[in-house]
Amino acid sequence: MRKTWAIIRRELIAYFSSPLAYIVMTAFLLMQGYIFYLIVSFLNNPQTPAMTPLRLFFGGTIFFWLFLLFVVPVITMRLIAEERRSGTIEVLLTSPVTEAQVVVGKFLAAMAFYLALWLPTVFYVVILGRHSKIDLGPVAAGYLGVVLLGFMFLAVGTLASTLSTNQLIAAIIAFAAMVLLFSIGLVEQLMTSSSVLRDAFAHMNLWTQMDDFAKGIVDTRHVVYQLSMGVLFLFLAAKSLEVKKWR
Amino acid sequence: MIEVENLGKTYVAEPVVRDLSFFVPEGQVLGFLGPNGAGKTTVMRMLTAFLPPTTGRVVVAGIDLDQDPVGLRRNVGYLPENVPLYPELRVEEYLRFRADVEGVPRAEVAARVDDVVARCLIADVRRQVVGTLSKGYRQRVGLAGALIHRPKVLILDEPTVGLDPNQIIKVRELITELGREHTVLLSTHILPEVEQVCERVFIIDRGRIVADGAPDALRSRLVGNPSLAVELTGGGEAAAAALAALPGVVGVEAKGEGRFHLEHGAGSDPREAVFRLAVERGWVLLEMSPQRATLEDVFVRLTTREDALAGQEAEVSHA
Repeated sequence: MRKTWAIIRRELIAYFSSPLAYIVMTAFLLMQGYIFYLIVSFLNNPQTPAMTPLRLFFGGTIFFWLFLLFVVPVITMRLIAEERRSGTIEVLLTSPVTEAQVVVGKFLAAMAFYLALWLPTVFYVVILGRHSKIDLGPVAAGYLGVVLLGFMFLAVGTLASTLSTNQLIAAIIAFAAMVLLFSIGLVEQLMTSSSVLRDAFAHMNLWTQMDDFAKGIVDTRHVVYQLSMGVLFLFLAAKSLEVKKWR
Repeated sequence: MIEVENLGKTYVAEPVVRDLSFFVPEGQVLGFLGPNGAGKTTVMRMLTAFLPPTTGRVVVAGIDLDQDPVGLRRNVGYLPENVPLYPELRVEEYLRFRADVEGVPRAEVAARVDDVVARCLIADVRRQVVGTLSKGYRQRVGLAGALIHRPKVLILDEPTVGLDPNQIIKVRELITELGREHTVLLSTHILPEVEQVCERVFIIDRGRIVADGAPDALRSRLVGNPSLAVELTGGGEAAAAALAALPGVVGVEAKGEGRFHLEHGAGSDPREAVFRLAVERGWVLLEMSPQRATLEDVFVRLTTREDALAGQEAEVSHA
């Protein structure tokens, strides 16, 4: 635990000693703020259907997914690729830590950074609360969805980062894998007749999963799907590191 | 302290290390010598549980690599080639990170950091960011990191590469000092370094040990008869024959201008006889010096002989 914690701390120092962290945070907040503004003004139009702004904010627009798909690879690309490129992985993995501890430590650091990105958006809830009554249940569920999606996607990114010593390539692999995970569920919409296959795709549909969370529905199937996928990718990352640690 | 039996490593059908066996007792400073690509780094990576061996057994500090790789790592301090460090950390932060990861008891971390900082002479850069350090300091910070958990075995991959002569001397002194408390295995292709620092030398080539012994013993065993360089005036043509007739002298080679190269038996010392002969004949002796073959000679001889044998499955000469 102490070793994992040491890895997390070092990783966080690395994040905040490069300009990348600040650029990502600034860009993320600017874009989220702009989208929030758009959503609120859209809903101010009396002709639009009644909907809560936060339901749109959490996964109800394509922007949510665009951010996620771009930001996550940027957060994870460095994690293991840089250690392998610079050779520090050799020092790390000749000390008494396991590949699993390295992967988990780095993943948790990425998770912490991701949560820090979302933290300021709590202000949107506060702002809305001052002008209207809001139901906190769906808001909490929405944030749960954000955390779970982050868990799964960051795990994919961590795995991708073990696959190359080049950060850019690691980011592109992560992006492609995440797009695949996101779009596989959309196949549901292409299938007309109902079948087991269609149900399977529906089960993997991240858009509807996120929409459920935003509506305040915490469906254990979604929770289990995202958590188990995340754990699977982390497991694969540890295995991949075992094999790939030497060039 | 280090036991290796039939160690082998094959990368994609190409053997890099073949059937290596050796034993290093506690407290020895051992030099790993070999041309680039001989497999030195690969062997070190296997001894530190970084790379899994293809065949064979490794036991370090009584722990079998197969059974407990993480336990083995606890007893080994490793400084990889080129000293990878995290550039964004301060020296102190880096050492504390290493202490945490190596499992140094929490209460001892501060004292250990102070200790290695003092021993590796990096007190003046303690608060500096690693990325701004000079190569010599980087090397010593890396070494400090490898020492922080007081490992029984220290494995250093080319610890003096890329340093200036002053820094090399400092790092060598440090290694010699570390050799008093740790079993040290270091690799290098700088031969005088091995002669200065190591009690024992392995020469490896193409993944096999081609020589093993103390630097002095290797020299005398592998280079053949000792010899004497003599320069004199007044001897003329007859001098060579007269020198060859001296007791103990096996062969004389005239090098011109009064210079001769005398080969003599290992147990004999013909210097006195040469002096008397010169006095007797009225020659003036300008120089007389025993020739010590250098490890360079041994190295070149061994590694080029291997070249000549390439292709044949020649018996490994443990010389």
